[in-house]
Amino acid sequence: MPDTSSHSATTASIATATKVDCRNINVFYGDKQAIFDISMAIPGRSVTSFIGPSGCGKSTFLRCINRMNDTIENARVEGQVIIEGENVNTDAVDPVLLRSRVGMVFQKPNPFPKSIYDNVAYGPRIHGLARTREDMDAVVQNSLTRAGLWEEVKDRLGEPGTGLSGGQQQRLCIARAIAVSPEIILMDEPCSALDPIATAKIEELIDELRERFCIVIVTHSMQQAARVSQRTAFFHLGKLVEFGDTEQVFTNPTDDRTQDYITGRFG
Amino acid sequence: MTKLISSPGPSRFDDPEALSRLKKRHAAERRFRLYGQLAISFAILFLGLLIVSIGSQAVSAFSHHQVTFHLPLNEETVAPNGPGDPEAVEENISGFYQLVREDLARTFPEAGETPARTREVNALVTRLAVIPMARETSEHLDWLGETRRYRTALSDDLDLYLKGAVADEIEISLAEILRAEQIRAEDSDAPPRIRLTSADEFASLRDALARASALTADRGEAGGFSVLVQNGANLVRLLPPYDSQPLLFEPMTGTPANLAGGKPEARIILLPESARNVTDRQIAWTLALQEQGRIRSSLNWALLTNSDSTYPEIAGVLAAIVGSLFTMFVTAAIAIPIGICAALYLEEYAPKNRVTDLIEVNINNLAAVPSIVFGLLGAAVFLNFLALPRSAPLVGGLVLGLLTLPTVIIAARAALRTVPPSIRAAALGLGASKTQTVFHHVLPLAAPGILTGAIIGMARALGETAPLLLIGMVAFVAEVPGGPTDEATALPVLIYKWSTGAERAWEPNTAAAILVLLTFMVVMNAVAVFLRRRFERRW
Ligand SMILES: Nc1ncnc2c1ncn2[C@@H]1O[C@H](COP(=O)(O)OP(=O)(O)OP(=O)(O)O)[C@@H](O)[C@H]1O
Ligand SMILES: [Mg+2]
Repeated sequence: MPDTSSHSATTASIATATKVDCRNINVFYGDKQAIFDISMAIPGRSVTSFIGPSGCGKSTFLRCINRMNDTIENARVEGQVIIEGENVNTDAVDPVLLRSRVGMVFQKPNPFPKSIYDNVAYGPRIHGLARTREDMDAVVQNSLTRAGLWEEVKDRLGEPGTGLSGGQQQRLCIARAIAVSPEIILMDEPCSALDPIATAKIEELIDELRERFCIVIVTHSMQQAARVSQRTAFFHLGKLVEFGDTEQVFTNPTDDRTQDYITGRFG
Repeated sequence: MTKLISSPGPSRFDDPEALSRLKKRHAAERRFRLYGQLAISFAILFLGLLIVSIGSQAVSAFSHHQVTFHLPLNEETVAPNGPGDPEAVEENISGFYQLVREDLARTFPEAGETPARTREVNALVTRLAVIPMARETSEHLDWLGETRRYRTALSDDLDLYLKGAVADEIEISLAEILRAEQIRAEDSDAPPRIRLTSADEFASLRDALARASALTADRGEAGGFSVLVQNGANLVRLLPPYDSQPLLFEPMTGTPANLAGGKPEARIILLPESARNVTDRQIAWTLALQEQGRIRSSLNWALLTNSDSTYPEIAGVLAAIVGSLFTMFVTAAIAIPIGICAALYLEEYAPKNRVTDLIEVNINNLAAVPSIVFGLLGAAVFLNFLALPRSAPLVGGLVLGLLTLPTVIIAARAALRTVPPSIRAAALGLGASKTQTVFHHVLPLAAPGILTGAIIGMARALGETAPLLLIGMVAFVAEVPGGPTDEATALPVLIYKWSTGAERAWEPNTAAAILVLLTFMVVMNAVAVFLRRRFERRW
């Protein structure tokens, strides 16, 4: 078993403890291998961004953390995903419970075609997190407030979530994810369907949420990665090429491929 | 390719080659639009033809002629077991029919002359047509001893005659008849003859006769028509030869002497008596009844409130509607839950492999299996093997359920597939289990589509005839079934049966039953469209 501290030379510069420790992850779609032996220690209470050219396996690797790959018919994940000392990539761990600890926000805003209230309340409801109506109201308000959406929707909680603008929908999805009080939030290109202003709001939000959650974000925007994340991982062809402090990765990458990618020479 | 490369750049607006290409493209578009419009016009034309032809035939079935009778309800005839037994009164059809016959004999004394003629007059009203009158009386036994007024259906053939569906006619009004005298033949057995003296010597009648001969000439027979002269409730028939001098008549009904004075009329029935189901005398009696105000046309509610009968004038679709409803109920109970479960499993849970592919192919094949095969299967499995009751909606519903199942599965799978994967991912990402995801999100979103498919499948099953014939639902059923295991028939089967009926009067009845069936289908399809509109979602 490799030593976690040996993955990257710069791990020590971040003071926070490791939240998710991925060890020797291999992912196969049928016979095709998509992730090649990646190990990575993701720190808590900070933002980690995944960058890399299209098809390099960022989403696949992200989905290992909440085992969403289980829902893909022919996907097979090997290796250990250790969250707070416990390997969750085993049959002994129920993915349903795992996903209440690891929330996810998708590329395209995907609110349920229900009311705004019900969108946020759905997670707490199925996990039994709120006993009474008042508790639930509090959870909904709290989540919407933290997602920066409360002021905009407090008068129309009964209206369908699909009626909001794209940026609002994405913030609703974030509110929905944080309503079940997860420890980790995974975001797969959360801003790629949004305009710059909505994107700025989400980035601001991510920065605030960093106080309480461990956030992993996949992005195609180098600027976004530089703006919101403390740590950056660069993927290439299913392999982890470089992982370190965002500043270091962007200003002084150790690998030529990283250099080429961030300067726009390929990808 | 080379041309493309060597061409100097994008085509200019005045380039003749580009313009001609553009013209061709526009022509092609116009042509295609025209084809589309033609296709739609054809479809609408045929639909219109169908509705008009069925509708126009059915119209005559929705109204019918009823005869009024004043019947003295004497206890011996009506209530043989005394006034304490209403059931005996209700079942006493012969008693009431006797009252009707007596009334007819009183009205038309000439009909008593020979037994054949008595049968002729009695045929004005069908024996079973007194059933409603018996039923009504059995609920009002205090009427016993009184004379009550009843209305009952005129026999189907005479009803058709009054609707003008039996034969073409020429009707003319005649000049005043001055005298009507009876001529006794030398041989006293021969029927009496009447000589009428007309103010204009029957000039107009002779004209009309000439026209009638011309119209019927191509039929070959001389005298291929009958002529009735009517004044009030008195009718006589012109005796052949129609060109004799003077014209001689024979009495039909009423008093020949009363033909004199007033406004006489003549009607020429352009079909010989031998070629129709109604005799001249029956027509004369019917016209006399009409003259007395005893026949009127009314809405034929019986068509909807009666059940099947061997007599078209009192036959109705009620039992068949109820039978169809029970059948549809069983069909829905089988096809919808099983279909939805199968579709959910195949779409959401089943692994995608050879076995599920095979199942999918076979479901599609099953949807294409001719319905009669399902009927054979039903007869073999449900009747012979499981020994379920014959002719019952239960078995019919099971068979139609199997028939509808593939349709429902295919529609439900299509509906489930329209639910975007992002919704499933959202629910799963929140920690919902597979089953919670399906039942909280996927199924509600697919429900309108599933229901639409199910309703359209049911509408198809509603119109199925062949499988029901094979499991014996074609049995004659005059009673409204009380449950899914009673003997019953269904609307399409009734239509099939009526359409094979020998009497002319079944034709409008069949058309009317088809209209009833079409109404049900239109309503079902409208519900489907409504559901789709109401709950349709855009993503
Ligand atoms: N469901 C699947 N079945 C088979 N192969 C898949 C599946 N999903 C992804 N792949 C393959 O796995 C590899 C990694 O895909 P992944 O979606 O993780 O890339 P990505 O880095 O997220 O790309 P993008 O930036 O375009 O989102 C790709 O080669 C892709 O073709
Ligand atoms: Mg991706």
